[in-house]
Amino acid sequence: MKNGVLGEETLTISMMVNGESVVRDVPVNRTLLSVLREDLGLIGAREGCGVGECGACTVIMNGKTVNACMVLAPKADGATITTIEGLSDGEHLHPLQEAFIEEGAVQCGFCTPGMILSAKALLDENPSPTRLEIREGISGNLCRCTGYQQIVDAIELVVNRTEEAKA
Amino acid sequence: MKNRVVGERVARIGIRDKVTGHARYAADLEIKNALVLKVFRSPVAHGRVKKVMTEKAAALEGVAGVFTAADIPGENLYGIINRDQTVLASEKVRFVGDPVALVAAETEEIAEAALKAIEAEITPLPALFDPADAMAPDAPAIHEKGNILFTRKVARGDIEKGFADSDLIIEETYETRMLEHAYLEPEAGVAYRDETGCVVLLVTTQNPHADHAQLVPILNVAPDRLRVIQTETGGGFGGKLDISVQPFLALAAYLLKRPVRMVYSREESFMASAKRHPLKIRMKTGASREGKLLAMESEITADTGAYGSYGIAVATRSAVHATGPYNVPNVSVISRAVYTNNNWCGAMRGFGVPQIAIAHESQMDKLAQRLGLDPITFRLKNAFENGSVTPTGQRLEASVGIRETLKKIRPYYQTFRKEIEANPSRRYDGVRHGVGVASMWYGIGNTGHPNPSSAQMEVDRDGVVTLYTGAADIGQGSDTVLVQIAAETLGLPYERIRLVRADTTLTTDAGATSASRQTYISGRAVQEAALEIKRILTEKAAGLLKVPANMVACEDGVFFPQFREFQKIPFEEVARAGLKKGEKIRGEGVFNPETTSLDPETGQGTPYSTYAYASQVSLVAVDEVTGQVTVKRTVSAHDVGKAVNPANVEGQIFSGVAMGIGMGLFEQFYPNKTKSFDTYLIPTAMDMPEITPIIIEVPEPTGPFGAKGVGEPALIPTAPAILNAVHDATGRWVHQIPADLETIRELISEQEGG
Repeated sequence: MKNGVLGEETLTISMMVNGESVVRDVPVNRTLLSVLREDLGLIGAREGCGVGECGACTVIMNGKTVNACMVLAPKADGATITTIEGLSDGEHLHPLQEAFIEEGAVQCGFCTPGMILSAKALLDENPSPTRLEIREGISGNLCRCTGYQQIVDAIELVVNRTEEAKA
Repeated sequence: MKNRVVGERVARIGIRDKVTGHARYAADLEIKNALVLKVFRSPVAHGRVKKVMTEKAAALEGVAGVFTAADIPGENLYGIINRDQTVLASEKVRFVGDPVALVAAETEEIAEAALKAIEAEITPLPALFDPADAMAPDAPAIHEKGNILFTRKVARGDIEKGFADSDLIIEETYETRMLEHAYLEPEAGVAYRDETGCVVLLVTTQNPHADHAQLVPILNVAPDRLRVIQTETGGGFGGKLDISVQPFLALAAYLLKRPVRMVYSREESFMASAKRHPLKIRMKTGASREGKLLAMESEITADTGAYGSYGIAVATRSAVHATGPYNVPNVSVISRAVYTNNNWCGAMRGFGVPQIAIAHESQMDKLAQRLGLDPITFRLKNAFENGSVTPTGQRLEASVGIRETLKKIRPYYQTFRKEIEANPSRRYDGVRHGVGVASMWYGIGNTGHPNPSSAQMEVDRDGVVTLYTGAADIGQGSDTVLVQIAAETLGLPYERIRLVRADTTLTTDAGATSASRQTYISGRAVQEAALEIKRILTEKAAGLLKVPANMVACEDGVFFPQFREFQKIPFEEVARAGLKKGEKIRGEGVFNPETTSLDPETGQGTPYSTYAYASQVSLVAVDEVTGQVTVKRTVSAHDVGKAVNPANVEGQIFSGVAMGIGMGLFEQFYPNKTKSFDTYLIPTAMDMPEITPIIIEVPEPTGPFGAKGVGEPALIPTAPAILNAVHDATGRWVHQIPADLETIRELISEQEGG
């Protein structure tokens, strides 16, 4: 540990973010969200409340979704992190992203990255959830625009496509 | 000819950037060396500002400026309908959170430190939190002109005779609560001066042109010295119609000549932004034995809080819509918006109509029950049709789809009823079930005021068509719908239209994204602009094809003579032929729906040129032990005139049902107490039923392809349908929202007949 510009302690952390190794000196009181957004330019994690209640800053850390606004950056040392930017290579979209477009599951879009990442974490764990399980899986992500129905439809579409592909 | 783009579920414009996370909202804009802005807000609800001491804050290292009312170059006054709000309090503060001083600093931390160093001497004044107290004759005046902001009266027929002729009269008082919009994106923006010194403001907003109009007098600059550009906007629901961060950003960028940024925290957003007006509604409704509505009298009081904002619109809309979509020959309504020292209330999805619908739809069910009629039959006996005359004396000539909405939900109503009555106790898993119906009508556009929109289109040498619109897409999808209308009109593929939107320098005023008006009004303006280009190019193509213009068609970007389709000229070739000769290939469209101002004593007039209609049925479960109400199924039928994009319309319906469930069952904003989503609960995916949307298209002759609007209508019938279903389940009427756990437990524990 050493002292930062304003006298606070900083810590060197290393993370795997979207498959790339990242090493940064960060003040110990910084959040993962601010490191992702401000230092790494990964703006897809949105700040909707800053206190872990809305889910707009959801990212996947070591296979589990977290509210990045509630994770202090030092806690992410050694972690593997996936943000929305890590889901597609720019050309090909992730099946969830495709499905969100097809079902019109996006209005203002502010909750969308967090919503898609929660859906991904759900499907990684349970590839064939029921509609109710889908609803449970995204219940930590608030959306004020869509009423969630087209989001549930989009996730279900991916589930059905995956099952069809297997059959 | 069949529509190719209008009526299709085309993907939204910009959706790819939203699903990949690349969309940039105001807080995501990179702006070098930007100062951070913070506002010092009043800790008291009502007080006289004696002195604001900013010297200590200004002396801190890294503080670029601290401003008070004295620093404002122009008028320290704004407000969208009536100007009564100060940018920075000069004499008085009127609610906890009223802005007093503005800090600009190098970092967030320094700005916070500067706020702590500001001292304000504010002498507290008696504060009023209840409109009844504020209306008392000896109440202290919150504003110089008195505490009643506005009174709207609607009077038609002979109200006394109406009640004398009635066989059945129901009278009740209903109360709704203050609500928060809770858009996911908090208010944010950046501002800087460009190389010419012009202040450029990029901000999340529902109405850049109105922002511009409000900011120019505050800065006291020539109108062309300020440019407002709407950024990607993370929801609005009416809450981003009023200016929020805009005057602070414009002021600091102007005075300091440095880039500035400001992002509200959620807590600040809750504290500083407008709320939904809580209404107290006394309503008395009379009907004949045969089930005809004969009279309706209502007294409505809206708490507009510290400032007027859209209070006048809410008082008027709630009065004008107070009968619901029914023929009532004798009507008397008085509706007031009253100042208090609560958070100020403004526009929120429906402007008072979601509140008044709770009253008129509860009254309808009470009457139906007493008359022994089922709720749909009773509504059909009274519902508007072509030729009906509204309480403001307006004859409805077209696009009156209320009856179709009721007929479409009827089979669902009957099925739900059968399902729950299979068990006489209506208990399933120990929980009582009920079915409820509600209907609504909603005037599209501003009430009794001109509210035009304008749009331009041009074609360049390569055949690229650009549509210029001032309309702000805040997530509801106007970008997509307007481009669909343009493409359909021109016979071009949807992808061929380039869009320039919501920038006060590049586009002309399209009016607010509010009042469910953009598809109808801006859509028609876009259609007119496209028709002008179509006319120009069709004539050009006719010359090239050597056939009369009335024989030329354009489809998929190709002009051809009808009946000789093998002879084709691409759209761009026709455009090029004209442009080469210096001919104008531009279109301008303006549309202002026909309205008249309302008579101040009787409210008679034409408030809107068209109305949307809807009916909804909900199946609910009421747990008598916990008091929890769960909405199990919802079917919502909406007459939208024409669904330009059915996926967008359905999205609005789902959205409206969600907001209505929150409004009906758990949302309540407590001034000075509610600070986060921890206590302000909005529906999650788990709170939502499966919703069946039904789109009904009774075309509006003045709308583009017959379209009206749906944004606010989607919300309106939801809470009343739920409350009627709760009555069906429990036998208890709910007269105030939210019907939360406590309310329901209390209702159920009351004695029968209570």
